[in-house]
Amino acid sequence: MQTRMCLKVVERSEAALDPAEAIDFVSDPGFGGIDMFIGKVRDLNRGRAVMGISYDLFVPLVLNEMQRLAAEVEAEFGPSVKLYVAHAKGRLAVGEVAIVVAAGTPHRDEAFRACRQLIEAVKHRAPVWKQEHYQDGDSVWSEGCSLCHDAPAQEAAAGGHADDHAHPH
Amino acid sequence: MKMQVQLFGAFSDLVPERKLELEVAGMQVADLRRALREQLAQRWPEFRAGLLDYSAFADTERVLRDDEPLPADGMVAILPPVSGG
Repeated sequence: MQTRMCLKVVERSEAALDPAEAIDFVSDPGFGGIDMFIGKVRDLNRGRAVMGISYDLFVPLVLNEMQRLAAEVEAEFGPSVKLYVAHAKGRLAVGEVAIVVAAGTPHRDEAFRACRQLIEAVKHRAPVWKQEHYQDGDSVWSEGCSLCHDAPAQEAAAGGHADDHAHPH
Repeated sequence: MKMQVQLFGAFSDLVPERKLELEVAGMQVADLRRALREQLAQRWPEFRAGLLDYSAFADTERVLRDDEPLPADGMVAILPPVSGG
């Protein structure tokens, strides 16, 4: 149900992500619990000083994947859950918000779990790429999770999952 | 068939227009992967071609398996390993 999910991509040059909007969206008189994850650009990655990150997204597929991932969460936690996901696009400075995920539910346990499931799914499956810009002037595309369907052998290989635990926040 | 490949992540640095056109001998995603591998080797021999092995192809709806037919409209995207959030 569309009114229980807000899924979007926000161009950084047009607006910053707004966590307050996420809280408003997932609020409901029947909900006692809201959990929110805010992902920010960090100033250090693998020992290198980071000045900013450029996010590249395949927007139509990102929105379709978010829809599927949110539907999976809804299927697990029930139709009363409210979900919010917003991902930034474009160049962000250190400290700026790259992603906001929020879940509202009747009780806190589902809120924590639904939010965690959704942020992990978005990180692993949404077609989003980040290019880190370092203080020394160099820029490098991060490599994370392969979307290949026959991934087990590939994930095991070097590079297939190289950045899984080096996210920018 | 003639395919247009929209480039993302590390692939987007290859050309400023962020897309490649190539002629694919065959109708499946695997045939496109083969054609792209050849073009990468010819035009950008210094590019880390192994990245292609970890990359998926997709249309705007979903990720496509290698044994699936190429989209009839000739439009696909190449998706290197993702790193959102």
